[in-house]
Amino acid sequence: MDCEKIRDRFSSLWEKELTPFEEKMVKEHLASCPECQSEFEQFEKTMRWLHSVGEVEVPDGFLPGVYKKMEDRKRIRMAEKSGKKWLNFPLPLKLPVQAVAMVAIVFLVLYLTKMMPQSPAPLSVGKKSEQALAHKELERGRETLKIPAEASRPKDVEEAKAPLPEEKKIEPTPPQVRVETRRAEAPSPKTEVLALKQIESKEAAKAAASSPEPGKIEKELRAKKKSVVAAKPPQEIVLKISDREKAISQIQELVKQFGGEMLTTKGYGFLASLPKDSFSDFEKELQGVGSGGKTDKGIMREQSTGSLRALHEVKKEAFEGESGEPAKSVTDKEGRIVVRILLIQE
Amino acid sequence: MRTSPRIEREVIESCKAGDEKAFAEIVVHSQKKVFNIAYRMLGNLEEAKDLAQEVFISVFDSIKDLREDVKFDAWLTQITLNHCRNRWKYLKRRQYFNSDSLDDPVETEDGDMPRAVCDPSDNPETLYEKKMIHQLIQGGLQKLKEDQRELLVLRDLQGFSYEEMSELLGLPEGTVKSKLHRARVDLKRVLERAAH
Repeated sequence: MDCEKIRDRFSSLWEKELTPFEEKMVKEHLASCPECQSEFEQFEKTMRWLHSVGEVEVPDGFLPGVYKKMEDRKRIRMAEKSGKKWLNFPLPLKLPVQAVAMVAIVFLVLYLTKMMPQSPAPLSVGKKSEQALAHKELERGRETLKIPAEASRPKDVEEAKAPLPEEKKIEPTPPQVRVETRRAEAPSPKTEVLALKQIESKEAAKAAASSPEPGKIEKELRAKKKSVVAAKPPQEIVLKISDREKAISQIQELVKQFGGEMLTTKGYGFLASLPKDSFSDFEKELQGVGSGGKTDKGIMREQSTGSLRALHEVKKEAFEGESGEPAKSVTDKEGRIVVRILLIQE
Repeated sequence: MRTSPRIEREVIESCKAGDEKAFAEIVVHSQKKVFNIAYRMLGNLEEAKDLAQEVFISVFDSIKDLREDVKFDAWLTQITLNHCRNRWKYLKRRQYFNSDSLDDPVETEDGDMPRAVCDPSDNPETLYEKKMIHQLIQGGLQKLKEDQRELLVLRDLQGFSYEEMSELLGLPEGTVKSKLHRARVDLKRVLERAAH
């Protein structure tokens, strides 16, 4: 048996666990090998020293220390439990509460964002959202202003697209009722222009948002109507004549007779100013002047009735108007009626 | 063998029921063993005291789960060894043992003592020599691997049987014996190196 195998059996030899045969072999080797003998002596001393180490006494206050630590642990656990009480709630209870809290937060955020005054954001996204908001408001305004359609749809669309000043010029002598209707149906051009201006400034956007209010829009429409009536061209009466000179002298006489005056006399067209009270009588007399009055009567009637109705409305509004001053000025302006008389040679 | 008489079954059952007196009895009965294992494993009295107290708190918390077929002493030793392993790792991470060498003063039950380099062949008859021997052994144990230290503490200092050690460490008896022999030889080398 070599030295390595002998040294591996030192523990067993020291603990007397070797079989008698093994013990005899190891002891014989140790007796013949001084190196292994020395190694075993060192090993034996180490084991003796190791076994000579006595037990250490437990420090005083060991058990009270255990109790104290237990108390400390209890207190920490209680604090943790109270701190994490919410975590210990059952999930079916926690989930609805969390969901409600989430919804409440969302509503609060939305409410606050709507309530808070928005500073003019340099971001294009902000502008876009504002524009979208203004367009929405416009759409809402259009819906509230829709009147049962008298005119065809495409015309409305065209008028809605056309800018307002041109609109006045394009239709010099439309039947007044239709004009009014169209105005009522298509306030969008003005409103859109207004809205676009309003987008630039925040206050204007607010005004755009409030514009679809029915009361305000009605007022706007009334003001528009007044301006249209005030700016509309003089009423036209078409007369078919056979003798121009004669007809002119007759018309001049009639005008003078009814307290009016001739404003212009050029070619076959006249402009005459007449007091509104005597206008209807003047109209009747004038029919007698024209030789083909029957043929143009319809047109004349239509035109005159249209103008009269418009005039009547203007008057009515002037009297019903809330503020007295603007109403007065309208009646003063409309105290006389300007008539254009066109002569057609037969 | 230096094992204390086994604790009575009734005391353990009372402790399971939450009886604090029974728990105190268990502590008083087992504290020396737990404290000594901790001290030999960690080499520090304060750390050993703290760890032993933690062990008994764990015992109080988990004794209700102790099965009847499990021996209380083996269960307690297992808890102690687990605590020692965790504490050893914790202290090692904080480089607690870095400055530890056999030439450093070692904390003993009689206070810090300077390491005296001595030959193991010297006759350790006097008390002073005995203290020095204890100091050397403690220092030598700290130099060994943790599992080697466990084997030496359990077998040579606490007197556990191979069977008990086999159960505690989850190793076959033959493996325990061979590992223990290797640990003893390593300790001898450590002591020799310290002497020269």
